[in-house]
Formats: sequence, C-alpha cells, structure tokens
Amino acid sequence: MLIERVLIFLIFITGFIGLISMKNIIKKIIGLNLLNSAVVLLFILEASRIGDKAPILNDKIQNIVDPIPQALMLTAIVIGVCVTALSLAMSVRLYKTTGSLDITIIKERLENEY
Amino acid sequence: MNIDNFFLAPIFLPLLAASIVLMSKSFFPVKLRRFCEYIGILIGLLLPILIVFLLYPYVINNGSLSIVIGSYTPKIGIIYKFDSLSLVMILLTNLLSIPAWIYSRKVGPAHSYFTALVLIQSATIAAISMTSDIFNLFVCLEVMGLVAYVLIASKQERSAVFAAFNYMMYSSSSMVFFLLGSFGLYRLTGSLAYQEITKTLMTLSAKEQNLALVCLLLLIVPILLRVAIMPLSGWLINAHSKAPHAVSALLSGILIKIPLFVLVRVFSLSPVLQNLTLLLSYIGAATALIGVLFALAQSDAKKLLAYHSISQIGYIVTAWALALHHGIDTTIGALLLIAALFHSFSHAIFKGLLFLSIGTATDAAGSRDVYKIRGVNYMLRQKGEKFPLTMICFLIGALSIMAIPPFNGFFSKTLLTYYVKTSIHYTILSIAGIGTIASFIKLSRIFLPSKEIKKPIKELPTSKFPFSIHLSLIILALLSLLTGIFAQELFGLLENMFISTNQRPIKATIFFSKSNLLKTLYTVLGGILLFIIATNKPGSKILHKLKSLKTDFTDQYLAFAITIAFLSSFLLI
Repeated sequence: MLIERVLIFLIFITGFIGLISMKNIIKKIIGLNLLNSAVVLLFILEASRIGDKAPILNDKIQNIVDPIPQALMLTAIVIGVCVTALSLAMSVRLYKTTGSLDITIIKERLENEY
Repeated sequence: MNIDNFFLAPIFLPLLAASIVLMSKSFFPVKLRRFCEYIGILIGLLLPILIVFLLYPYVINNGSLSIVIGSYTPKIGIIYKFDSLSLVMILLTNLLSIPAWIYSRKVGPAHSYFTALVLIQSATIAAISMTSDIFNLFVCLEVMGLVAYVLIASKQERSAVFAAFNYMMYSSSSMVFFLLGSFGLYRLTGSLAYQEITKTLMTLSAKEQNLALVCLLLLIVPILLRVAIMPLSGWLINAHSKAPHAVSALLSGILIKIPLFVLVRVFSLSPVLQNLTLLLSYIGAATALIGVLFALAQSDAKKLLAYHSISQIGYIVTAWALALHHGIDTTIGALLLIAALFHSFSHAIFKGLLFLSIGTATDAAGSRDVYKIRGVNYMLRQKGEKFPLTMICFLIGALSIMAIPPFNGFFSKTLLTYYVKTSIHYTILSIAGIGTIASFIKLSRIFLPSKEIKKPIKELPTSKFPFSIHLSLIILALLSLLTGIFAQELFGLLENMFISTNQRPIKATIFFSKSNLLKTLYTVLGGILLFIIATNKPGSKILHKLKSLKTDFTDQYLAFAITIAFLSSFLLI
C-alpha cells in the first residue's frame, strides 16, 4: 500500500513541476493532466482498500470495492477531459496568433497590446 | 414533481433554454434563431426570477426547502437545499445577466453560443447555491469555471485567449487541491454531504481533527482563489480587462461573489474554522486598500475597473468574514451578512454599469488609455448617439461606487461600515473609500471636452447608435437608483429572510445621520486631495512604480502555496 502511495505522490509532483516550470504550454497542459490523474488514482486506490471485486451486488460477491469514489472519479475524469480539450483549443489559437508555444515569448509579444 | 420541488426550476429552466437555443442554432434559419434566443432568455433568466419571488414566502416560513436527488438516502444521495442565501444568489445572477446579455446583442459576442453559455452559467450558479454536497460543489464550480474561460476567450483576440488560458491553468490546478481536500474528508468521515460531515467531524480524535482542518483548508483556498482576495488575485486583472465588455460585467458582478457566499456553508462544517474568520476580515480590508492603490496607478481604463473589483470584493469579504466571526445566527452576524449581500448586489449593478459604459466609451475612442482619451462625448456623437446617455450612466455608476447618496453604493457602504465602526477595519475601509473617489475622478476625465476638437459636427452620423446599448445601460442605471431609493425596503426583505426575530434594528436614521453625511463630504474632499497629489510629480512616480509591478505565471502558484501554508499554520499552531 505504501509503495503505491509513494508512486502516486511522485506522479503528483511530476505533474506539479511540469505545470509550474515548463515554458511550453502543451507541457503545462500535460502537467495538469498528470496532477488530475494522480488524484484520480488516489481515490481509486483508497476505494480498493476494503476489497477488490467489482461492486455488482446481485451476485452476492464478497470483498467489493467502495463504489462511491469510483463514481466520483468518473465525473472528475470527464471534467478533466473538458479542461484539457478547452486548453488545447486555446493553445492552438495562441500558436496561430502569436507564432509560439513558449509562454514567455507569448507574454512578450502580447506585452504592449491593450 | 410536486410543488415543494419547484425550487429546482432555476437550475432546469436555464438548461432547457440553453438546449432550445443550441437546437435552433443547428436547425433553424437566422430569423427564427434570433427569436429562439429571446424565448430562451425569457424562459431561462426571467422566469426563474419570478419563481424565486414566489418561493420567498416559503423561505420565510420554513427556513429552507430541501430534496435528495433521485430519492436516495441522504448519506449517499446528493442533497439540494434552497434557503435564503440561494435565493439571493439566483436573483443576483439573473438580474445582472439580462442587461449584460442585452448589451452583447450589438457589441459583444452576439452569438447563439454566447446566449447558451450565459444560460448555462445561470444554471450552474443556481446549482452551486443549492448544493449541500462537496463533490457536487466541485463539479458545479468546475463547470462555472469552464463557462467563464470560454466567455473570456469568446472575444477571439489573442490577449483575451491568453488571459483565459492563464486563468484556466491556475484555477483548474487549484481545483485539483479541492478534490484532494474532498478526498480527505470522505476518507475521514465516509460522507460527502455537509450535514453528515459536520456530524462525524465532532466525533473524531484530536489528530484526525487536525487532518480534517487541513482538508477543509484545501477546500477553502481554491474557492478563495475564485473570489480573488489579495494574494490570490493575480489572474483577475487580465481576465476581467481583456474579456468582452458584457463578459467583464458578468465576471465582476457575479462570478467573484458566488463562491464567497458558498463559503458560508463550508465554514459551517467545523466550528474550529471560526478562528480563521478574523484573519480573513483583515485580509479583506487590506485587499480593499491595496486594490484601490493599484487602481489609482493604472492607465488602462478597464484594468482600473478590474482593480476596483478586487477592492470592492475586499469590502465584501471584510463584512462577510466578520459576520462569520460573530456567527451568522446572531443578530449582529446576520446583519453583517446582509450588509455583505447588499453590497455585492449594489456592486454587481454599478460595476456592470461602469464596465458597459466605459466599454462603449473606449470602443468609440479607439483607445483605452485614460491619459490620452478626451472628449468621448464628441466621438460617441459621431457614432450616432444623440443624447449623452453613456456619460450620464457612467456618472451614475461612478457616483454609486464613490458612495454618494442617493445611489445604492452609498447605502450599502454605509451599512457595511456601520457595523464595524469601532474596529480598525473602519479606518482601512474609509481610506480605501478616499482612493476610490480619487481614481474615479481620474477615470471621469475621459468625458472632458477635448482641446483639439472644437468644430461642430458637419457630416451626419454614418450609423445609428444601437438601441440595445442604451437599453442595457438604462436598466442598470435605474436599478442603481431604485435600489438606492428603496434601500430601506430591501433591507426589510433581507432581514425577514436572515433574522428570525421580529426586531428591526436598521433605522432610516443610520443612513442620513449627520455624521454619515459629513463623512461622505470629508471622503469626497479627501478624494479630490488625493487625486491632486497623485497627478503631481512625486505621487505619479510612486504610482508608476506600482504599475510596473508584473505578476508572473509562477508567482500565482507561489501565492497559492503561501496562502495555504499560512492559513494552516495559523489554524494548527
């Protein structure tokens, strides 16, 4: 259990570093995705603490996982996809209008614009 | 669906209307499409206002109406609860969305998508205001955010897209922490509904309590980021100033306040959080002051207004946090909450008015530099405006934000400061009021007649001035005036909702007392003095330094991390 948590933490940190320190906006978006996935994995891992069978109750299966976090994460993943799609669409527009994906260069080119 | 569940209509009607608009966009010819948009606004924004008024007696008599979606047990299902706070939030949203939408018809993004987005936003805000479930709150906040990002980027201008991108990265990544917080609370309490969490949190051991507090902070700080109090407000300036004018009005008027009032519920989860409120009230007061200083330094008209949004939200946060500090069940706490609500109402109205009128003026002038534009009236007349209505509406908005009677800003600011009179907040907020006046004198100069243009207009205006602009401005100006004149009655309505006893502590005399009017006079004089200082050499040097301060992408995360670390150390030690 511990090793999984350490790995999830590593994914989280990787995502966070990518989000903050990368100059390329596509890499930033990937970083955000990693952050999201880490939290999703954490929820799923936590749900499987009490069992590892799929929660289909009419088969009288014992040791089922906690179904609520799984249901929640389905929603969270959908939201994550929406955010990713929108941010990628915006980065396409930024690339077309400014000619760069580097956030500092984009900022420089927009500096004197009202 | 029985009559008790009527309160879900403010969520479903806008969604229905949005789907009608989008359907008509795909299948119908242009004329029918326009007609469908009007129908959509009628169903989605006007009808909920009527329903909310119908629900008002229910709220007064019963306190709140609630339902578990899908008839599950309350422990699993999502609970929606309609109370006085949700009533006010829905009213605020729909009341402001309508003029902003009307304005957008001719100027802004007059697209079917825009109409649909405004409707979806209204639906999500209604859902946010009613939900009693952390995860549902997360979903609604994210949807509200997504709508906001698209609205900002709808201008198609590259700087607007960049501002939206910046905001999106920042707030989406902070929402990941919100998710972490809700994970922690689910882990500790086994539930996501507010009531269950409150119940279970009481029974936890001391060590688990501390963990729960950190989780609660992870919920609170991302919401505070949306509210944009001072260290967390780096995203706001560009997002609000680069967006289309109608969207700026929506963002400043509604979107920064809704999360704040949702926080009232989050703060009720644990009694320990009350220790945080006094600190937050100081942060709010500081935000009001610093925001106004930055506003004074700006040369871009819309940036100036955006900094004023930060400053005014500081006022609201101060009253709100003090309300929580006293406890919203006590009379003084409820009164402070009413003051905060009333000020957010009047701020929404006058800031909407200011953004729309300044937007019209700067569009006509073709520039947004406050130092360069002069004689906007002349330019507007060239565009076909026969009567200087834009200027009059701007002046109404400006007088309102300066807290000059009889406009609504005077009443809400007076009420807000009335209850904090003995503390240091009062001094800070009064100084911020002086700054507000100075910066609006600076902004008003764009309407001064220009020296260069003196010849009368010979050629007839080429185009007719769009009526929709005037209509939206008139609606907002009238609202500003009416909520000022009938302030007393409005307080009565709000008191009925928030204070259960029959006592009426607010008297008309608190507004027009001699000391208040004198204070207004002094503030105006102070404002003029500050304006003179600021336009002189030493003053403008300092302001220029303030203006040249730039925030970077990573600075925002630093502010976020510092806020979480600071608040958690404050709570735990």
